[in-house]
Amino acid sequence: MVEPKSEVFQGTLDLMVLKTLDVLGPLHGYGIARRIEQLSEQLLRLNEGTVYASLLRLAQKGWIRSEWGSSENNRKARFYSISASGRRQLARETENWERFTGVVGKILQMQSEG
Amino acid sequence: MATAMRVLFSRLLGLFRRRSFDAAMDDEFQSHLEMLAARFQSHGMTKAEALQAAKRQFGGVTQMQEELRERSSLAFLDSFWADVRYALRQIRKSPAFAATAVLTLALGIGANTAIFSLMNAVMFRFLPVQDPKELVKLQMEAPTRTVPPGDYSFTNAIWEGVRDQQNVFSGAFASSEVQQIDLASGGAVQYIEGVFVSGGYFSTLGMRPAAGRLISTSDDYRGCPLVAVLSYGFWQSHFGAESAVGSTVSLRGHPFQVIGVTAPRFYGVEVGKNFDVSMPLCASALFDKRNLDSHGRWWLQIIGRIKPGLSLDQVRSGLALISPGVMSAAMPEADAAFQKRFMSTKLNAVPAATGISELRGAFADPLRALMAIVVFVLIIACANIASLLLARMTVRGKEIAIRKALGASRRRLMQQLVTESMLLSVLGAAVGLVFARWGGTILVRNLSTGRNPVSLDLSLDRTVLGFSFVIAFLTGLLMGILPALNSARVDLTEATKTRTPGERTRAGYKAGRWIVAGQVALSLVLLVTSALLVRTFVKLMTVDLGFDPNHVLIVSIRPPWWASDDIKMKPEQRAIIDQELERRLRELPGVVSASRSFIEPLGDDNWIDEIVTDLSSARSEPIYFNLVTPEYFATLRTPIVAGRNFNDGDTRNSQRVAIINQTLARNYFSGVNPLGHRIEKFATSKAPEWIEIVGVMKDSKYEQVREKTKPTVFQPATQPFDVATVEQYEVRTAAAPKMLIPEVQRAVAEVNPRLPVEFHTMAEHIDDSVAQQRLIAELAGFFGALALVLAMIGLYGVLSYAVNQRQVEFGIRMALGAQRSSILRLVMSDTFAVLAGGIIVGVGLSLAIVRLLQKMLFGLSPYDATTMLTAIGVLAAVGLLAGFLPARRATRVDPMVALRYE
Repeated sequence: MVEPKSEVFQGTLDLMVLKTLDVLGPLHGYGIARRIEQLSEQLLRLNEGTVYASLLRLAQKGWIRSEWGSSENNRKARFYSISASGRRQLARETENWERFTGVVGKILQMQSEG
Repeated sequence: MATAMRVLFSRLLGLFRRRSFDAAMDDEFQSHLEMLAARFQSHGMTKAEALQAAKRQFGGVTQMQEELRERSSLAFLDSFWADVRYALRQIRKSPAFAATAVLTLALGIGANTAIFSLMNAVMFRFLPVQDPKELVKLQMEAPTRTVPPGDYSFTNAIWEGVRDQQNVFSGAFASSEVQQIDLASGGAVQYIEGVFVSGGYFSTLGMRPAAGRLISTSDDYRGCPLVAVLSYGFWQSHFGAESAVGSTVSLRGHPFQVIGVTAPRFYGVEVGKNFDVSMPLCASALFDKRNLDSHGRWWLQIIGRIKPGLSLDQVRSGLALISPGVMSAAMPEADAAFQKRFMSTKLNAVPAATGISELRGAFADPLRALMAIVVFVLIIACANIASLLLARMTVRGKEIAIRKALGASRRRLMQQLVTESMLLSVLGAAVGLVFARWGGTILVRNLSTGRNPVSLDLSLDRTVLGFSFVIAFLTGLLMGILPALNSARVDLTEATKTRTPGERTRAGYKAGRWIVAGQVALSLVLLVTSALLVRTFVKLMTVDLGFDPNHVLIVSIRPPWWASDDIKMKPEQRAIIDQELERRLRELPGVVSASRSFIEPLGDDNWIDEIVTDLSSARSEPIYFNLVTPEYFATLRTPIVAGRNFNDGDTRNSQRVAIINQTLARNYFSGVNPLGHRIEKFATSKAPEWIEIVGVMKDSKYEQVREKTKPTVFQPATQPFDVATVEQYEVRTAAAPKMLIPEVQRAVAEVNPRLPVEFHTMAEHIDDSVAQQRLIAELAGFFGALALVLAMIGLYGVLSYAVNQRQVEFGIRMALGAQRSSILRLVMSDTFAVLAGGIIVGVGLSLAIVRLLQKMLFGLSPYDATTMLTAIGVLAAVGLLAGFLPARRATRVDPMVALRYE
């Protein structure tokens, strides 16, 4: 379990939020939380509030934008969508992530020699 | 990087969007919770259950809001403003405390700033000229001394050699000392400050005129027309808004045409001596041709601007290279030995970015000492406020506990408390700057004496403001950090209980005791220091001068070096006039006796030579000489302890005779009666002559009050030293010396109305010569007393506070049968502990520090035991008193009242 305050966790969460917005289009915080919950198959239990911290970080960096609208059940909600610079960042991060997990995977699969 | 900038920008915007951000966040969170709850409800929970579960899954709503709020803007700035607002509220709530603290700090910071601005002006500030760091001043370096020491030690011949032969400077100039110049064209004398400068002066310094043009090389040649450049300040005060260029000013009776005005804030290269008017070097020939032609008139300084790209070492070797040529062309008339030494003299260059200053040598040590003293005072003041803050902290213990309980972090709490002390300190500094401005001006005024006016630019420049800022910051930190650390330790459960003050405040009280012990130690150091300086001054004022300076009027009838030749006269003519004048003065009513001398006692002037005796040919030390008339000893009341006085039989043609002082007798004739023995004097080029000792006089001060008695030889004025004229008159009067001035003036005018006469009393002169010590003693005494008072207030405050807090305890003790005396002992033992600890540390500190005062002391050792013991005694006595008052209050606790309180 990753410590929720750690930077690794924050970075990962940011990446997940960005990807979600890239794939599903404009979404509110609740929706993002649901999507992550669903995809992680309950493995990743997070305080849903932390999603908003992630959204604020991304917005401050200019990678996402937001707009007020109303939710499915007619509640006032803020919809977030990925920006062009956000997409570029996502591409970079995805590549980094794959390279990183590849290396880690290889190391973890190492057999003791001899 | 761009991303980081964007984040910063967004956070900055956030500072102004606080409210809308909060509202939006509330909405967003609320709808999230509702949607989540609706989902749980659809899974079969009750509405209440669903809402609970939603909150759980969301995590702490308030925490998240706080976190986002912090992230949305520059949190530290935000909380900083909140802290400042809070601190201001605290100050409004207790104005008396705040006023005390701010005033104490203003005094402390103000004193520090004042002394520092003086130091800055005298020692650190660069000349207000273009690229001052490129400037160097020239010095003569010889294996043994051949030229007068000090800054103005070049002849015009050397300057012309340097000017024509140097290749290391992009510009160079010579200038004279700033000197008094009579502005009046007849009538009452009106002195202004004038300076002679060579043609390259302004161009080398890179100055531009405010009006007209400045002196240039084309103005500076032999036989040049008389032109003058005014300083901006002088132009304004004398010409107002009118243009001065083209008008004529009379300088020493000669008309000079004003060609320009310097830029504002430029007063020359000598710090502390501002010039009003500058004249080209060539104009000095008007007053005395020897200024330019004599190889023996040392009156100039030389400053150069290093050529771009050259290092100081390259400049030095360049100067060394031209030195032999310059020296041989500038060779003074002297004996062969002197000439040989002179030839080996090398020109050297030292940095001169801060200009020339005689003040610097004289004031560097005193200023450093004063700086240290005021820093100590400030630390003691800080400690006092820290104790006050500590005491308040315990009162505010509950408030702090509540803030903690509501989730304030330890760091956040400390930040707020330090902000409070910083605010006090900044307010103190602001008021302190006003004090500093005011105090600095008073200081400079007190440094000036009639003969030696000092003017310094004390404006608050960046260095001074920066210094005050740093001092204020450190002060705020110093006095805030201890109470803050202490408060961070506040225990929640303890603090929120209704009343158990004893336990809770113990930590605060302990910290307070440490602070007070430190204050006691520091104030002991200050007391010892100031006692040493004050006693130095008292010793200076009461030292045996070897003569009686009271009721003595000094009359100088000494034509200045620039006077025209008909006033100066030949020595033989002058001798006749002087004898006549002396006779007339003696006959004036109210005159007890009158005499003449070549050197005025304590006149900051000397005549030094070396001697051998008929017993030994060792020339071990410089001997101080004077020429006097026989009445000198009676007039000054210096007794002749052996042998005879000079008399009418000692003439130009009789055997050369001398009266020596006791120190010389001891050093050269120990165990022998010096009377009848002979000495020989080494003048520079004269054939030696034996002088017979006919008398021994009591030791007396020669040049300065604080000097160690010098071996002295007095010779009769009638056996003249070939160029000397004995024209310094001492007149002992029956009544106040100054009342005699008009009659003396009349008597002089009867002999020759053109002779310039100057008057001062000997007592005045002594006052002038100890002015610096007086100022330092006064300041040290003031700050020493202030430190003592502050430390005692601190001690009293901490103990009073402790007694108040322990009232219940004392009540119980008394109810259980404790005697008043044992309560008194209980409290006083605290006082003892604090005082003893502080004094022990203070003695150690003092012993380590006083060594630095050595050079400033007179007549006592820095380790003077009496001073140390007295300081300890005073501190202990006052400390015990400060401790006794609260202790006595403790014994008056009424057990019933105290217990009912519980």
